[in-house]
Amino acid sequence: MLKQECSINKYFVQGDEAIAEGAIAAGCRYFAGYPITPASEISETIARRFPEVGGVAIQMEDELASIHSVGGASVAGMKAMTVSSGPGISLKLEGLGWGIKNELPYVVVDVQRAGPSNGVATRVGQGDLYTVKYGSAGGNNSIIALSPMNVQEAFDLTIECFNLSEIFRTPVFLLTDETVGHTRELLVIPDASELKVVPRRKPTAPPSEFLMYPLNTPGTIDYPYPNIGEGYGICVSPYTHAAKGYATTSEKDQDKMATHLVRKVTDHLDKLTRVQEEMLDDAEYGIIAYGCEARPAMEAMKKARAEGIKVGFLRPIIIWPFPDEPIYRMACKVKKILVPELNRDGQLSREVQRAAKGQAEVYHLGSGGVETHQPVHVYDELMRIIKGK
Amino acid sequence: MKNQGGDLERTIHPLAAKYLRQERMPHLACPGCGIGQVVHSTLIACDELALTPENTVWVQGVGCSSRITYTLWKGDNIDAHHGRIFAVATGMKLSRPDLNFICFTGDGDCMSIGGNHFLHACRRNLDVTVIMFNNAIYGMTGGQVAPTTPMGAMTTTTPYGNIEDPMDSVKIAMAAGASYVARWRSTDFRQVVSSIKKGIQTKGFSFIEVLTQCPTQFGRYVLKTGDPLKILQWHKDHTVTLKKAEKMTPEELKDKMLIGEFAHTTDRTGVVERYWDMIKKIQSERA
Repeated sequence: MLKQECSINKYFVQGDEAIAEGAIAAGCRYFAGYPITPASEISETIARRFPEVGGVAIQMEDELASIHSVGGASVAGMKAMTVSSGPGISLKLEGLGWGIKNELPYVVVDVQRAGPSNGVATRVGQGDLYTVKYGSAGGNNSIIALSPMNVQEAFDLTIECFNLSEIFRTPVFLLTDETVGHTRELLVIPDASELKVVPRRKPTAPPSEFLMYPLNTPGTIDYPYPNIGEGYGICVSPYTHAAKGYATTSEKDQDKMATHLVRKVTDHLDKLTRVQEEMLDDAEYGIIAYGCEARPAMEAMKKARAEGIKVGFLRPIIIWPFPDEPIYRMACKVKKILVPELNRDGQLSREVQRAAKGQAEVYHLGSGGVETHQPVHVYDELMRIIKGK
Repeated sequence: MKNQGGDLERTIHPLAAKYLRQERMPHLACPGCGIGQVVHSTLIACDELALTPENTVWVQGVGCSSRITYTLWKGDNIDAHHGRIFAVATGMKLSRPDLNFICFTGDGDCMSIGGNHFLHACRRNLDVTVIMFNNAIYGMTGGQVAPTTPMGAMTTTTPYGNIEDPMDSVKIAMAAGASYVARWRSTDFRQVVSSIKKGIQTKGFSFIEVLTQCPTQFGRYVLKTGDPLKILQWHKDHTVTLKKAEKMTPEELKDKMLIGEFAHTTDRTGVVERYWDMIKKIQSERA
């Protein structure tokens, strides 16, 4: 177990360790990774903890092997996870395609660091927002990504990632960053009985009547997943499949599969919209940030509020699918929105701009990473855009 | 062709009826391809060891080896991305050590794009049986050079002749630590059956390479023939048994591939057994 602090169920740990514990609490019993800063602490914690709980943790020869072996474990009935950071995530994207196409439930953790390429390996960045969404070649995807802002959420959302991956039968990202991963703060691990954990759904129909992929009813979720060795003769491949899993080259089948994979997410936005909203009721200006950047953003909001400036705050917790609706509502209320984020290409701000549909002016506060913005940076920029300079 | 017996059931080979999905027939192999022969050998091995579709998974990669065998098996068929067959098999075998895994791969899938995974699956002595069809070319994609293509050979991507030396998968498998290693030609019918059986029974990584004739691509570009028999003759001319090779000079062995059984270790455990033993030990210590 982790070393307990203060009292029962309370721990003083890093975000990375909280992710490892979250995975265990969610029932994850297969892990494959490859060493990479700043995600290695997750692998190390899991390597120590998994044998204690009867789980398999293996360090594979590379990032590709680690995600593909996680896919294999998922096919074999395990709840499974792999972790990495930018340079490793770009390699893992190959395996992700196999996972998406075959509707495999598993979790991928991206502890973002400053990029591009190897960048600054030990320091924070937020450059993978589009990578996780659009990186898997071929499109037609059903990406779900959750992003924690602190250690407690790193634990809670890891469990949520596993639950969503089972419900939606798809790989789910925990899109975190070096700051959250390496921040050490209080974690409360509730009793197992208090946690909601979604098990793998098993078919009740006999193998002769069961179809592996619900392509005749596109967008179906909560669909059972038989695994290998259960008598269902499952067929999993990299090729476009019809309902049984047989490879097909027909335009109709390709479109059916693509439609299902996309609608699995877009038909269920009610289950996939989660944001934190602060002081938006009377807000004239807004800040939108995610992950580690949410904390300086909220501090800046508090400082402005203390001075009587009506500033509100919104944070996507489920960041893919993007929370278009709440952001549009916010944009209709406020005049200007500031988006602090740790990249210079304006990834989050471009999405906010799209969701705002011209209802508010959107400003990007970028940085190459290494350090998070300080509250004063966000505050100063906010004052600058308010004054229109 | 009209079915002369009038009863389709009667024309199906009993092992195909027992193990293969009839709705997936005919399979995708070109006329004269060697893969069908090896699938036949595999089915005999499965039958003689009383494997069932319930306790045995067929695993594939990408290429002719895999596209032809995918969804033939009545049980589970798990087809990985190109080269990732060993990674997927690692996840599956570690999760379900009770199941048998027969992996079909090709020389490109295994030795080129999957080369690193192959090394480490051998090193971990992953308890799966691997059958590598070696047609010495990229067949599915139209006859491009492979890491197993002979020096000097014309292919669609070596129009002036291949300037690279081919690699020897058997030496690599042995050096990396596979428990069982053998190489045969598709015509070595009994030996292939015997090796697959031994592979399935052997604890740890079992690697069986089979030279398979590809009239469509290898024949066409390298040997300038569409006749599978001529490729079989070429196999015969370019292979010697381990025993014969002992009495041959290096000069005589030039351009020859060795065939036979190269390694058969029965007492070495692998990662799967060791991991689950470790779990048991740690859990009993903590209990």
